[in-house]
Amino acid sequence: MDYDSFLRTDRLPTSWCAGCGNGTVLRAIIEAAHRLGWDASNTVAVSGIGCSGRTAGYFSFDSIHAVHGRAVPVAEGIKLHRPELNVILVSGDGDLCGIGGNHLLHAARRDTNLNVVLVDNEIYGMTGGQTAPTTPLGTKTITAPDGAWEKPFNVQGVIKAHGAFYARSTTWHVRHLAKCLDAAFRHPGFAFVDAKSQCTSNYGRRLGYRTAYDMLEHFKTAYRINDGAQTLADDEIGITA
Amino acid sequence: MAQKRLMQGNEAVAEGAIAAGMTFFAGYPITPASEVLQYLVRRPEVRAIQFEDEISSVCALVGASLAGAKAMTATSGPGFSLMQEGIGLGHMMETPFVIVDVQRVGPSTGMPTLPAQGDVMQAAYGSHGDYFPIVFYPNSVQELYEYTIHAFNAAEESQSPVILLSDGYLGHLYETIEMKRNARLRKRKRPPLGVGGRHFTGLTSVDNTPTPQNPEAHRRMIARLQAKQRKVGARYAHYEYISNRKADTLVVCFGSLSRAVMPLADRYAIFRPILLYPPIEEFSEIAKRYKKVVVVEMNAGQYVRVVQRLMRRTALSLPMIGGDLDVLRLEERLKWITTAS
Repeated sequence: MDYDSFLRTDRLPTSWCAGCGNGTVLRAIIEAAHRLGWDASNTVAVSGIGCSGRTAGYFSFDSIHAVHGRAVPVAEGIKLHRPELNVILVSGDGDLCGIGGNHLLHAARRDTNLNVVLVDNEIYGMTGGQTAPTTPLGTKTITAPDGAWEKPFNVQGVIKAHGAFYARSTTWHVRHLAKCLDAAFRHPGFAFVDAKSQCTSNYGRRLGYRTAYDMLEHFKTAYRINDGAQTLADDEIGITA
Repeated sequence: MAQKRLMQGNEAVAEGAIAAGMTFFAGYPITPASEVLQYLVRRPEVRAIQFEDEISSVCALVGASLAGAKAMTATSGPGFSLMQEGIGLGHMMETPFVIVDVQRVGPSTGMPTLPAQGDVMQAAYGSHGDYFPIVFYPNSVQELYEYTIHAFNAAEESQSPVILLSDGYLGHLYETIEMKRNARLRKRKRPPLGVGGRHFTGLTSVDNTPTPQNPEAHRRMIARLQAKQRKVGARYAHYEYISNRKADTLVVCFGSLSRAVMPLADRYAIFRPILLYPPIEEFSEIAKRYKKVVVVEMNAGQYVRVVQRLMRRTALSLPMIGGDLDVLRLEERLKWITTAS
């Protein structure tokens, strides 16, 4: 397939660090969109703020880079006015679960037909490595030098509580991630894909991972696929029922 | 053909928006603006959505507007504060939509049911960074209807969020109005989403590409936006001026408070800007004819600073805060301030 036709090639290389997981997610989204025949005439990309918030701008679709936390309501405005447009929203855990958490749960409740891809690296990467809502309990960050003391945000719970589509995958499990995206894009209501991703520069290296590959290997060993489960356990990935 | 109807100010805003071709409304209930949303949800030609807050409401307008809709929200002070980031985004992305602020007494929760003019400064400077909004402030139900249409047209011409100020008194006031049909409406300049290759971002950018570390590009962008806003604003430099050859004092007032000042036209000359921003340049010439200029407003003295900047001399500030539009007190205080100074 022709990846370039989905990309703003004039903007490459991306602003992302070597070893970042954002590119893997971007590629998987392009493949899923290609399979469904989505193109610039019928598709719009939306992002919020952060490293993954830059994703929208690399698509050749018309794209919107909203203010921090507000990608979801901007996307809802588009979809409510023009239901025939496919809306792909890519943003990070800080943007979607932190500052934008309220919008996320209400969009799930309204069941607006959005395709939301969370690039979850468990950290505020762009701003230097501060604690994120998804940072695991006890993990050390530059704003939690003694380890994160709050329970991480239960994004699966928030989405599933309102009966919306929820799938989880990782940047190691690229084929599984593609399957999740495909199912999400075909889902007629609010669809959410939680893509666990690696940040090496401002997260992994401080936790003892030497390379991006080390972080991917962690995904490989830490998660097992359990498609069709009602609820995923913390060490499971899959498309939930 | 004009149709006459008895109508509330907030309803006139809703009718004006429909006449202007609005198809998308997003809002959150708030006193004294809720009637706009309540009125519009019953209208089949409008997609009116109640969002979870004012932040999402204004951001939904950005999305809907880029998708091609003529869009509006209506709120009051506390919600207007929350909307400021979305207004800044709208200016940066050059997205047309209309924000109606039915002002109430603040700060914070203040006195929700009582009118004020405390958002006059916030309307122009509420978001961070440099931006140059077009702001209208009518003073009757008829004008609310007409200036809602003007606000939509000015938004299309400037490709920016336009603010229509109202207040708790005007919003709930009932008057008979004439609804003019076939108003001249501006069309969208930019094709809606679904073209491809365009990137709408809050970052400073050049040709659809962010340039967040290019000072020259930023200066060029701000200069272009400022010139555009001034140019469009000048087309709407609407005001009411009641001259008075016998008077040595010119009273500047706007919104509902101006209705209480008008009966005093035998004693004072009166200038009522309907366009608050960009400020009306002709005012400086008018002000030269009077020894004293008093700016009376339902806040502690906000627009007086704009007036002084236009005149390049000192004006008297007469704050009428507290939400009670007491005509006798206004008359007394005007007399006191003009004789005491």
